[in-house]
Amino acid sequence: LGAGQSIQQTYDLTRYLEHQLRTLAGTYLNYLGPPFNEPDFNPPRLARAERVPSATVDLDLWRGLTGNARLAANYRAYSRLLCYLRVLDGQVGTAELRHRLAHFCASLQGLVLSIGGVMSSLGYPLPAGPAGPPTPPGAPAAPNDFLKKMDDFWLLKELQTWLWRSAKDFNRLKKKVPPAVVTLRLEARGF
Amino acid sequence: LVQSCGHIIPESPVLALGSNFTALCILNESCLDFGNIYASQIIWKIKNRLVPKEQYREINRTVSSVTFNDTSSLATPLTCNILADGQIEQNIYGITVTVGLAPEKPKNLSCVVHQVSKLTYIMTCTWNPGRHTFLDTQFRLKHSWPEEIFPDCIPKDVNNSCTITDIHFFVNTEIWVEATNALGKAESDPLIVDPIDIVKPLSPQNVSVISGVLPTVLKLSWENWISDTMMTLKFNIRYRIAGDTNWMEVPSEDTASPRTSFSVQGLRPYTEYVFSIRCMKEDGVGYWSDWSEEKTGITTEDQ
Repeated sequence: LGAGQSIQQTYDLTRYLEHQLRTLAGTYLNYLGPPFNEPDFNPPRLARAERVPSATVDLDLWRGLTGNARLAANYRAYSRLLCYLRVLDGQVGTAELRHRLAHFCASLQGLVLSIGGVMSSLGYPLPAGPAGPPTPPGAPAAPNDFLKKMDDFWLLKELQTWLWRSAKDFNRLKKKVPPAVVTLRLEARGF
Repeated sequence: LVQSCGHIIPESPVLALGSNFTALCILNESCLDFGNIYASQIIWKIKNRLVPKEQYREINRTVSSVTFNDTSSLATPLTCNILADGQIEQNIYGITVTVGLAPEKPKNLSCVVHQVSKLTYIMTCTWNPGRHTFLDTQFRLKHSWPEEIFPDCIPKDVNNSCTITDIHFFVNTEIWVEATNALGKAESDPLIVDPIDIVKPLSPQNVSVISGVLPTVLKLSWENWISDTMMTLKFNIRYRIAGDTNWMEVPSEDTASPRTSFSVQGLRPYTEYVFSIRCMKEDGVGYWSDWSEEKTGITTEDQ
């Protein structure tokens, strides 16, 4: 795939995952039960939640990101989010929800792969280290059930925000990187 | 001779059709002394048919070999027997022989993602399994990403298709078929495809036909059961006068964009028409859905 097609495909995947997560998160929050599944539940972000990469970013900073920095931020974020999500996937009680989480995790793995593909097609190096730590960095397990559910809540919330942000990231990249130019640049470098 | 007086090697071989094959019948030393029998007295049989003596060779006192230049003549059982001092023939040992072919490279691998409900998709792949092998041959449909290998799809009761139920769109996926039997393994050429590009969507649902103010216009409405985060659609609309068999079609360029309704114009007043719609991915990549359920409507009278 050329860079343009690769970016378009990644953009489509991001929007598709955003759509999938909307229903999946709703089901999962119902599984967690009140207050987590109440529409107006808007808890403060606890220090514990800092482990999960935050999608919030200063608008000017975001606008000024280079293509490489933009993609690298996405790549690192989803690599880590995927790890946390896989931990979630292993603990869920209902088979149907477990299956849907596992399916979503595989699709998210596909997104990490796609972002990596875009970076390669643009000649950018992948962020150092494996595609995300094999297990989430050594954060202490939640001391109680409520905080555990709070962790899950913030994971899903951040994931939704990242997918929303990424769609804008890739939309921006699509405009900045017309396919023809990219191919020429790559050929000039003897790729 | 209650105790077994010998055995054949190889034991129950699987042989390639048309190849050559040699078996050895090895007599036990103990039987030699007791039964007064020697390899020279060995008779080879296929089923109950004598193997011509020219194909035997006495290796030594206890071992006789038999050779077949073409395994096509072989059958089960192949037995080693003794005719001791003109007495009745005694069976020493027998083996089953299976003759067949290694699997050919599966060809013409093709896959379609069928939308089976609003949120459910299955991917059915079909292939040409190649020649009959006469052997138990397993086929496995495999698919993977560079860093992710998914569970194999194992066909049930057939050897030329399999259906995968866990599909991931918008990621190029490598799909191939592996055929394995006792004589070898063969793999099809890989198919690299984004499943979103091989979708056959469900046809438009809940079609309704509404007559309008104009006597030559009928308005169609329907539901698209595929999310636009998956794909946007284009349509074909066909219609005929009730009772007539000739279908007319709305020019495809008029319905080449996402929509859930269309007003068909140029109809005859006060006439019953039958309508049917189908859809596919807007960029034309993939497969047309089946035609929708037919729905009828009547144009109003010309005032």
